[in-house]
Parts: sequence; C-alpha cells; structure tokens
Amino acid sequence: MLAKLAFVVYAVFVLGGGCLAVGAHSLVRALVGLICSLLGVAGMYMLLAAPFMAFMQILIYVGAVCVLVFFAVMLTRADAGGEEAGARKPVKAFLSSLAFISPVFILGLVIVNFQPASKAIPVEVPLAELGQGLLGDYTLAFELISVVLLAAMAGAVLLTFEKRGGHSA
Amino acid sequence: MIYQLIALSLLGIGLYGLVWRKSLVGMLISVELMLNGAGLSIVAASQLTEADGASGQIATLFVMGLAAAEATLVLAIIIVVAKRFKSTETDAVSRLKG
Repeated sequence: MLAKLAFVVYAVFVLGGGCLAVGAHSLVRALVGLICSLLGVAGMYMLLAAPFMAFMQILIYVGAVCVLVFFAVMLTRADAGGEEAGARKPVKAFLSSLAFISPVFILGLVIVNFQPASKAIPVEVPLAELGQGLLGDYTLAFELISVVLLAAMAGAVLLTFEKRGGHSA
Repeated sequence: MIYQLIALSLLGIGLYGLVWRKSLVGMLISVELMLNGAGLSIVAASQLTEADGASGQIATLFVMGLAAAEATLVLAIIIVVAKRFKSTETDAVSRLKG
C-alpha cells in the first residue's frame, strides 16, 4: 500500500518534472523540472530495490550533469527573456506532438500487449556482485567508459581553449 | 509494466522537447530526460523479471557514464557556438555562415 503511494508520488515527480523541463519558458525553470524528474527516477530505483542505482543517480545526474547544464545556462544568454521566449511556428507544435505520440503509441501498444511475467517484489542485488560484474565480466566496457570520459573532457578543454592573442579556437 | 510506461513517457517527453526547444541548452535537457527513461527501463526490466539483476544495473551505470561524457562535450560545443554565433538558438546557428 505504502509502496503504491510512493510510486504515485514518484510518478508525479517524474512526469511533472519532465513536463516542466520541456515546457517552461525559462531555462532555469526547465532545469528545476529536470532535477525533479531525476529525483523521481531515483525514488523509483529505490522502489525497484536498487538503492545503489538511486545514489548513483543522485550523485551523477543531479550532482554532476545538472551542474554542467546550469553552467551551460549561465555561460550562454539563456535567461527568461532570452532564446526560449517568443512564439513558435504552428508546424513545430505539430511536429513535436508527432515526435511525442508516434513512439509512445507504438511502443506503448507493444508494452501493454506483450507483457512478460514480472515479479511482484524485486530482489536487491548485493553490491559485491555489482563490483565483481564491473571488474570481472565487463572490465573492457568499464575501461572504455573511462577512456570515453577522458576523451570527452580533453575534447571539451580543447574546444573551449582560446589561443593567446588570436581569435577563439 | 507500469515502470516501462513511465520510462516510455520519459522518452516521449524528451523527444517532444528535442523538437520543441529552440536553444541548444533546452535540447541538452531533453536528451538527459530520454537517457533517464532508458536507465529506468533497463533497471525495471532487469529487477522485475527473471533476468540477471546485476547486469542490468551495470548497463545503467554505463548509460550514466556516457551521459556524463555527452553532457561535458555538449557543454563545450554550446560554449564554442555561443562565442562564435553570439547565440545558441538553433535557427540562428543553422544558417551556416562560417
């Protein structure tokens, strides 16, 4: 009973935050909506008996990615009277509704019609097993992720690097 | 199943925002929403069925790492675009004046 109530609360967080994130005119408000949505997803991870995933969600997404997006908001002129304000063409509304409806309709039909047998109570995976998976079976992917992160950060630094005396790189 | 529907609507909301938003930062926010839907879907699928729970969570960890890398790069690209075009609006940038 309590789990169902918590699920409804988290679902409201996720969907309401998502709607705020795409609908708000001010990008800072959109960012607040994104954070709400991410926290709701973290709560759903808790309900799915994956507390480590919930902590990682809060650490990586809310802690790191949202701060990055906030830097992007601050470093560009993305305030309330900025680029998101103003009217859009009606054809854009049609296209974006189409982008929402078509995958949700098709995949939703598939999900509702072909449900696998699901467990009522999820089992928590012990943390040691996760660590063994990361450093045992999936070592190559784990190391590749670090290489990708390093390349991304080096690329970011290079992209924003300004030549002394010259124009921006 | 209901978790999958929530994840699916996150994907839909993200796609909607990707088309609807006019600035690059808004599109970045939408992409983050879609990646979250993917993570939620993977964890729900691995925890609620007979599949291996550990590999699902590891896959979601990889998705999070990739999302962090992608956000870093997109931030750098946004800064370069903002410097060069004085704007991050996609309509202004898509004119391809060097």
